Amino acid sequence: MSSAELLLPLLIAAPLLAATLPIVLGLWTDRTGWPIAAVTTTGLFGAAVALASAVYTGTDAAPITHELGGYPRTYGIQLVADQFSILIALLVTAVATGVLVYTRQGGPRGNTFYTAYLLLTGGLLGITLTGDVFNLFVFLEITSIATYALVASGDGPESAVAALKYLILGTMAASMYLIGVAFLLMATGTLNMIELATAIPAAERPTLIRAGFGFIAVGFATKVAQWPLHTWQPSAYQQAPDGVTPLIAALVSTASAYAFGRLIVTVFGVDYLTTMPNAATIVLTIGCVSVLAGTALAVIQTEVKRMLAYSSVSQFGLVIAAYGVVIAGSSETAFIGAAIHLIGHGLLKAGLFLGAALVARSYGARTVDEYAGLAKARPVVAGAMAVLLLSLVGVPPGVGFVGKWYIALGAVQSELWPVAAVIFLSTMLTLAYAARLLEKMYFTPPAALDWPRTTEPVATDGGDTTVSIGMLAIVVIAAVGAVALGFAGGTIAGLLEPFLMEVFN
Amino acid sequence: MIELLASHYTYVLVFVLLGLGIYMTIASENLVKKLIGVSLFQTAIFLFFISMAYIEGGSAPIVPHAENPGELMVASPLPQVIVLTAIVVGIALTAVGLALVIRIYAEYGTLREDTLREVRADE
Amino acid sequence: MVADIRPLAAVLVSAVAIVLIIASHRRPNLREGWSVLAALTKFGLVVSMLPAVMDGTVFRWSLKESTGIQFLEGIDFALRADPLGIFFALLASFLWIFTSFYAAGYMRGLSEHNQTRFFASFAASLSAAVGIAFAANLVTIFVFYELLSLVTYPLVAHNEDEEARIAGRKYLTYTFFGGGVFLLAGTVMIYWLTSLVSEGPTLAFEAGGMDALAAAAQVEPVYAQAAFFLLIAGFGVKAALMPLHSWLADAMVAPTPVSGLLHAVAVVKSGAFGVARVILEVYGPGLIYDLPLDVPGIGEVGLNIPVAIVAAFTLTAASIIAMRKDHLKRRLAYSTTAQLSYIVLGLSLLHPYAIVGALFHIPAHAFAKLTLFFCAGAIHVETHTDYISEMAGIGKRMPLTMSAFTIGAAGMAGLPPIAGFVSKFYMLIGAGDVGGSYWLFAGALLLSAVLNIAYFWPVVYTAFFESEDRHDAKPLLEFPEGGLIQSYATTSDDESVAADGGEPADTSGIENEPHAADTDDYEYAVDKYPSDHTTADTDAPSQPTDARATETSTRDGHDDHDDHDESVAAVDHHGDHDDHLTGGPPAGGWPRRSPRTESTWLMLAPIAIIATGAVVLGIGPDYAVFLELATRIVEGVFGMPFEQLGDMPFGELMTEVTN
Repeated sequence: MSSAELLLPLLIAAPLLAATLPIVLGLWTDRTGWPIAAVTTTGLFGAAVALASAVYTGTDAAPITHELGGYPRTYGIQLVADQFSILIALLVTAVATGVLVYTRQGGPRGNTFYTAYLLLTGGLLGITLTGDVFNLFVFLEITSIATYALVASGDGPESAVAALKYLILGTMAASMYLIGVAFLLMATGTLNMIELATAIPAAERPTLIRAGFGFIAVGFATKVAQWPLHTWQPSAYQQAPDGVTPLIAALVSTASAYAFGRLIVTVFGVDYLTTMPNAATIVLTIGCVSVLAGTALAVIQTEVKRMLAYSSVSQFGLVIAAYGVVIAGSSETAFIGAAIHLIGHGLLKAGLFLGAALVARSYGARTVDEYAGLAKARPVVAGAMAVLLLSLVGVPPGVGFVGKWYIALGAVQSELWPVAAVIFLSTMLTLAYAARLLEKMYFTPPAALDWPRTTEPVATDGGDTTVSIGMLAIVVIAAVGAVALGFAGGTIAGLLEPFLMEVFN
Repeated sequence: MIELLASHYTYVLVFVLLGLGIYMTIASENLVKKLIGVSLFQTAIFLFFISMAYIEGGSAPIVPHAENPGELMVASPLPQVIVLTAIVVGIALTAVGLALVIRIYAEYGTLREDTLREVRADE
Repeated sequence: MVADIRPLAAVLVSAVAIVLIIASHRRPNLREGWSVLAALTKFGLVVSMLPAVMDGTVFRWSLKESTGIQFLEGIDFALRADPLGIFFALLASFLWIFTSFYAAGYMRGLSEHNQTRFFASFAASLSAAVGIAFAANLVTIFVFYELLSLVTYPLVAHNEDEEARIAGRKYLTYTFFGGGVFLLAGTVMIYWLTSLVSEGPTLAFEAGGMDALAAAAQVEPVYAQAAFFLLIAGFGVKAALMPLHSWLADAMVAPTPVSGLLHAVAVVKSGAFGVARVILEVYGPGLIYDLPLDVPGIGEVGLNIPVAIVAAFTLTAASIIAMRKDHLKRRLAYSTTAQLSYIVLGLSLLHPYAIVGALFHIPAHAFAKLTLFFCAGAIHVETHTDYISEMAGIGKRMPLTMSAFTIGAAGMAGLPPIAGFVSKFYMLIGAGDVGGSYWLFAGALLLSAVLNIAYFWPVVYTAFFESEDRHDAKPLLEFPEGGLIQSYATTSDDESVAADGGEPADTSGIENEPHAADTDDYEYAVDKYPSDHTTADTDAPSQPTDARATETSTRDGHDDHDDHDESVAAVDHHGDHDDHLTGGPPAGGWPRRSPRTESTWLMLAPIAIIATGAVVLGIGPDYAVFLELATRIVEGVFGMPFEQLGDMPFGELMTEVTN
């Protein structure tokens, strides 16, 4: 048992255990949450980096696995760190660490908040690293419960309503997934992903598998907020406290989308799904429709956070469409695109929501109109947000372009022309709402609006309006990262290569 | 068909229950009833797992430390373990949901969704 | 191929300058100093590569080779200085030097706001333009093409008023549709097509066309054709091919140096340059000629024919539209649209002579059009006049500027000895040499030359040969030979309306009013006091005059050099409507100025130099480097010395190239 292998259970257990500490220590002192969370997430990030270097530099390119409790994977739970999952684990730990820089001053405060924060991180890492489909359900629910609590911790009753809406839809989605798992179990008798991969093509009753895939697809479509099952997402993102939105927007749906991709390529297998009637069509349609509907809805929003939330609908639409291309055309390229877009979108949305939080905190602006003149008043935030927005549009060399390039290339290689058209057009559609915000920030003088601004900024959390260097720095780092990752398209594709060899034969 | 119903009637019942749960969640205006619907839905899934694991003539999967284990007929233990876990998850969800409902009730003074919509629209 | 850092350095010089410009935003002189320094350095770097490139060396810089970073799987982020790249980079960096002086004069003359952003974006645009020039493959060119759209957006929306914002929106929409949708789609398709054959996948430019693509086109001819049109449409947006042209006229709300260098040279030429890359180095003339497009009713035609038809249509239609524009910069914009289509047309004829002509037209048009824009800008800064109908007699006020304007206009029309003549000459030879239906295109070229005169001559005529009170007279139609010494008192109001078709609401409403008033005044004044027109005007003060007076008092007079003219100082430079009210000749007619006092040297010197450049290119094209470079490029594409190219029949040449 190598030391890298031990990191696997540690990555999941550490945040879950640490989550209890703020409450326990809270019995004595009130301000323990942040240091504990900071130490934990930083440690997790370090562990993820160590694990990543072990995975990527490993000689045989085999994934690092750990069997919990020593039970064999046929009926025990296996944790897997392969080239795909560790990529998401890196994103999760990095964003979780980064957002803490904001919450230190920006709030929300309190030990219970950090408990939920760490629970969420642990759940997300669980989704990422688990190799067992039922275990995946458990981690999905841990993540969800933590998210509901975090959303509900916002000021005002609206956040409770948003959280309840999220809870009902989220639970339904997870239950749908569970039904799908039940069908798989019925057909094959196993829950381990690797075992399922061999058992599914050999299953005697393919109808059960198809039904299972159908339920799983619907469940994840809801979790990933695909139109028309997205309704929980905009209000949840909008009503959550400013410090929480970056975390959940960047990670929660991303982890679900990752899990869906994992199920498609590892569990069902691309070859099997290609022969499954209508599977490709359904996934493609969900994705493409979401791209179009999400953007259309984003353009008409007045609230910046809500607009960004709808933008997530359309960006995840791209990812789901990429999965559709993977199924329809066995396209490795589209899968690389989906992976990069998951990472890129997570980073971009984290940065954008952090930026929006900063603006709301120091400038008091929450609607698109109120962003007028931001470039003059807050040049650094405005600049960073502009870079992030443009990267989202797909202007090279930003990470958004790289993902789009691979997805589009995959669609063209598979000769799925309508899908390719949607992907190319999505640039214009994204531009429609991004340019709206850019124009407000840079080319609309604030005098055009008659409302109090810098003189009395609207306090959102705790009445403190100062912006620390760290808060600013984290947004700038996100923007720089978005551009830097724009040059990493080939590198990431190279890192994923062994994994792709495995699943695409 | 009849034969299938006769032997697989539990599945039919389970899916009727699932439908009831979804319908309740969608149609009921009362937030608590919605949560009950969600719970019903989940419970139906648990039953689905249990009935899937059932073998005619099998006993509970508590294997005695005994003689010829190969001849023992037990139901598959895996789904039962799963259901145990899922029940815990379900309880946690219901608890969080009810806590949210309490908060909404404290703020708006109503449990009905339509009234809630009106109240929020007024604000 | 020689690995060299200079292509990258040439791109990055102005990117570094951005940082310096922003850092020294409190010190305008230093800030403009950085601009000039960066321009000189950039030009120096490009020139330093020129001799070696003329000898056949290609300098190359690749991200992968120098840092090990792979940009995209199978695609390198690479720059290379080949003849075609040097050609465009040389032009853009040379003209940037003078534009930075001119821009300083222009922006200060108008006390523009946000000058730091302006100069920073300007430097960024040049970075992107040189990046386009040196891009070694389709993805690299796409990266810079998108960046160029992006960094020119702040220049278009510079005024921050509603009109500028709308123009900016339109600009972004068009250019991103071209770049982000068409160009990206075309690039992806090329990558896919070349991956179907054993040579690929590749996206790197090859003189004469990519071999892999030629092989792939045999496998998937339909998709190869589709990709060709996607690429042409992508670059065609910036080259303002109809029907994708209308952003260009709207982008004229930008400050004039922007309209000059970017919307006549760097940005639009990057579109034309992209078309050149696609035709010469992605597909290659042979492949384009050989990929038959089956048109129902006509039969099979080469892929180039639809492009040539669109270009021919654009150059005719845009010329006709230009005639109807009263706003000088808009007229120039439509002229740009037309002239860019010359380049596209010449390239799409595929004949080596036509290609040389088209390539040489890039600098020829750049010099002449930059002169014209600089003149328009100088007029705007000095007199705030934007409409041709108000420029009657302005030749007195700005003799040097208007002389330079005349040279530029002659160049546009292709009159010898200006540069435009040489390029059109080559294009005509090319079109004639092919013969057949290509005569139609030759006819379009000739027709457009006539139209060019038709829309530029009135400007020159108005400026030099009309006087202020008779600017709308129609001597050729209404008066006996030699004209009458008489005001056009009898003309109706309708005729005094400026012939600007662009904004009907304004021309009927705002414009009509002062003109109607003026006409009445003139009638009255000239009849009674033929020598003293001023009295009448002040006797009957109209609404705009009042506004002028009040505004003047609230402004700090920044125009030291035109203190003679109160109305000028009061002009709000934002938007055309205000200009139109306050522009035009001052009450006493244009004062006579000598060339030395008509404006600041910051603007006059660039105008004079660029106009001289246009003449030099026309008189001695063999000595100016551009023509030689153009022939080098064509030799590279066809793979044989230029002298032999002329002797070979066209059809044979095309098959020769394919093999």
